[in-house]
Amino acid sequence: MLLTWADDILRAKMLVLDGGSTRQRLATLAAVLCVFGMTYGGVMGCYAGIFGGKLLQIVYSAVKVPMLLMITFGLSLPFFYVVNSLYGLRDDFGKVLRALLATQAGVTVILAALSPLTIVWYLSCENYRAAILFNALMFATASISAQLVLKRFYRPLIETNPMHLRLLRLWITIYGFVGIQMGWTLRPFIGSPNSPTQFFRDEAWGNAYLQLYRIITGLFG
Amino acid sequence: MRKAFRQLDEILRGDATQLSSLEQGQIELPLKGLLMVMVLLGVIYGLCIGSFNLLHPLEEDAVITTRDAWMQTFASAVKLPLLFCLTLLITFPSLYVFNALVGSRLRLLSVLKLLVASIAVMLAVVASLGPIVVFFSLCTSSYPFMQLLNVTVSGVAGFLGLAFLLRTLHRLVLIQENKLMGEAAAAVPPPPPAPPIPTPVAPPGVVPPEGANVPFSPDIEQAKKLSALDRYGYTHQKAKYVVRIWTIVFGLVGAQMSWVLRPFIGTPNLPFEWFRERESNFFLAVLNALQALFSID
Repeated sequence: MLLTWADDILRAKMLVLDGGSTRQRLATLAAVLCVFGMTYGGVMGCYAGIFGGKLLQIVYSAVKVPMLLMITFGLSLPFFYVVNSLYGLRDDFGKVLRALLATQAGVTVILAALSPLTIVWYLSCENYRAAILFNALMFATASISAQLVLKRFYRPLIETNPMHLRLLRLWITIYGFVGIQMGWTLRPFIGSPNSPTQFFRDEAWGNAYLQLYRIITGLFG
Repeated sequence: MRKAFRQLDEILRGDATQLSSLEQGQIELPLKGLLMVMVLLGVIYGLCIGSFNLLHPLEEDAVITTRDAWMQTFASAVKLPLLFCLTLLITFPSLYVFNALVGSRLRLLSVLKLLVASIAVMLAVVASLGPIVVFFSLCTSSYPFMQLLNVTVSGVAGFLGLAFLLRTLHRLVLIQENKLMGEAAAAVPPPPPAPPIPTPVAPPGVVPPEGANVPFSPDIEQAKKLSALDRYGYTHQKAKYVVRIWTIVFGLVGAQMSWVLRPFIGTPNLPFEWFRERESNFFLAVLNALQALFSID
């Protein structure tokens, strides 16, 4: 059942957007998002979880992946709503919203499909930094692949009004900007074997972009 | 209140500035309710900005106390609507005068309503970006980062608001010119205005070709040919030019007003004050913030 839904999302069947009642559709998307997101999160938390004897980390990571996606989505939405209204696309906003939500679910499906790779990586390489990099790579892969899903869902909208394409780019920018910081804030996802298991890390409250800048200038300076 | 929100919604959706409703040369907006919503939106964004020191963990060398942080939040919530109101008051007379000089028939009240609507658009945009600002307040303790983030947010809002103003004025001018031409064609009764297509506000930065927004009905085209109407293009062009310059003035005034009314965010290194000393200016401050941001070790 869940797999059929996931398949429908990946193939961007309009059924996902239009079939059944609103509540049914939302429930489907939410279910897919939670189940698949938690799958990847759980796998992600395995690093120190099973091998370091910290089972709790698995639960934390599992909860955090859907959280990451949904909070980012929620924070970016108000602005997108206002801009859509300004460009005269309010009447399509319901469809836009469903397309975006379906894409969120799509990201988790792709992530879940990548999770076996993560396990193999964990098994073959013990380096913690490498684990972080590998997971970042997986997230990047999933986000980029999900663009395909998003494009498919958006195609009918863009056909009716090309302005949708521009605003889609705006959405990706805003979502990316908030999402990167959100990923940084919700650390640890993987859980270093050397630090205690926590939901949030005390020192996690930092600015991802400034950290990145520091790392880059550190490399070249 | 709900009615006022519906009004704001109509502005955002462009219902209030459709060609059909602009045809009378005025904009239908109940100012009172709209102003209330605008103040509310301003307070929301003010709270979002001002809560910076409340939300992020204070560094050890911070001078600001928790009480100061609360005061700052309160002060920003009060000052932000004030900022927009003052900018409105300062830029309104010049908009009206230029508008009249270039031959627009907009009455005083209509110009005011137009400006209020544009500022309502700006406030709606900043308020909608408020959650993102709060999120970054929570995460970052870098004051220059927050400064620049807020400058960007306000910049985006100003851009969209002014695009709205320009588009609406453009439509009004077109309608008026159409009417003039209709009268010039004399025999022909004033032609019906162009069908109210749901024209979206043109994308900022993209200037549509002359009159692209408004399809002319054939008899207007006819009228254009019949009477030697050089003036049509001429006034239209001039009006556009003047209004463009005015938007730059608006941007400068808004930016500098925000500097005069600062602090909105409140640096952690200074105790709370309602207003800071009158020194420097907005643009130097932005440069300083950029410098501070990129000189972190």
